Amino acid sequence: MASSSYSNSPCAACKFLRRKCMPDCIFAPYFPPEEPQKFANVHKIFGASNVSKLLNEVLPHQREDAVNSLAYEAEARMKDPVYGCVGAISVLQRQVIRLQKELDATNADLMRYACNHEMPPSQSERRNNNNMGGSSHHFGQNSGGLYFACPWSTDHDPCGDQRGGGGNM
Amino acid sequence: MTLKGGTSQACAACKYQRRRCTAECLLAPYFPPDQPKIFQNAHKLFGVKNILKILEKLDPEQKAAAMWSIIYEANERDRDPAHGCLGKICQLRYQIWHLEQELHSVHTHLEICRQHHHQQQQISSNMPHHDQHVTSQLERGMAPPSNALPLLSDHTTAQAYNAMPGLAVTQHEAYSNNTNDAYDAVVFMDSKDNNNVGNPLWAQYPYSTTNNSENNNNSSMAIQSQMVVSQPLDVQQQVVQDCDEMPFFMDDRQSFADSKEAYESSSEESVLKDTTQSLDPVADIELKNAAACFSLTSVTAATDHK
Repeated sequence: MASSSYSNSPCAACKFLRRKCMPDCIFAPYFPPEEPQKFANVHKIFGASNVSKLLNEVLPHQREDAVNSLAYEAEARMKDPVYGCVGAISVLQRQVIRLQKELDATNADLMRYACNHEMPPSQSERRNNNNMGGSSHHFGQNSGGLYFACPWSTDHDPCGDQRGGGGNM
Repeated sequence: MTLKGGTSQACAACKYQRRRCTAECLLAPYFPPDQPKIFQNAHKLFGVKNILKILEKLDPEQKAAAMWSIIYEANERDRDPAHGCLGKICQLRYQIWHLEQELHSVHTHLEICRQHHHQQQQISSNMPHHDQHVTSQLERGMAPPSNALPLLSDHTTAQAYNAMPGLAVTQHEAYSNNTNDAYDAVVFMDSKDNNNVGNPLWAQYPYSTTNNSENNNNSSMAIQSQMVVSQPLDVQQQVVQDCDEMPFFMDDRQSFADSKEAYESSSEESVLKDTTQSLDPVADIELKNAAACFSLTSVTAATDHK
């Protein structure tokens, strides 16, 4: 098997696809032969053709980012075929909401101290009150969020709360 | 393309592929005909064949959730072709880090306020009545000016960050080190004014442990658990450390007391005060001892005049 002009062995993509690795192979810079699993995952989830098209669409200096993100998403999808990396996003978003609520409550306590010099309610009392209900309206700074709500089933809602209907489409 | 003899329209997937949409079409429930863009994004990233391969391995009750996540992932990739969902994850992690820093800072402030409140209560209960005037002056000196809070915040933030034992920069576990530049590029794309840390997105957060209980039952959490898991941090210990490292209030109280005594005492005292504050290395030890005795005497005298 011929190799690219910059390496003695074909890239992981061409090895996997069993084809000649040309000097202008678009995969070669991002799929070194030492990491065969990286391309195997990406190929399994997205397909070489789609990856190639995507790499051609982005700017050259963004291609490494694109490949790394695809590799990450592919690995996440391999580990979790149902949610992939979206499960991580939902967990992080819930964490943001929780932290924002806690920050708002703590700031309110601080303001009470500054204004009244009175002892605010204890932390446990405040957390109990928050757990009873409360809105997520504080979570507004995150641009977009999960802008596409699952329209088919309310049973599977990995994001916790559905916002709005259809998406930005 | 429509179904033969039927009035229902072909789904977006079959429309795109220009094929007949049957009742058994697996993709029809997820790609309505009035939203062709959704299918185009999914097809562009995954391809129909790969989507069907993913679906066929799942139970029927999992298919809707899987399709939802596939569509979400495809839409994110359409929005940001270079980073996709990973860019979103990085953005959220940065947001979390920022919120945790802010929360820690506010907790520290709150603790300081509580301690002050407690001290004031103790002072007011211990001091005799004729010293109430001095106490009120001291209280005014002890109370932090509002414009000092931002400074305190910055100081506390820097101290707290430097003192956190759990913070460490982690790398993406799957691939070699030459990918870090790409991740760094993603980081600096999202971070705006955070100059204190090198790479906060991959840092471990001390406040994340409370959320780990949510990660136990879902295999999808395995990935983010590797990112989010951190060592527990003793917040109380951290608060105490921060208070010890900040002589702000103690210095103010002492300096206010000194300035007050200098104002109410005679000019000789102020001269002596200047002398004691002198940095002359040749200062006589005897002179210093005399000054100390005189200071103690002057305080007593000033107090008796009240």
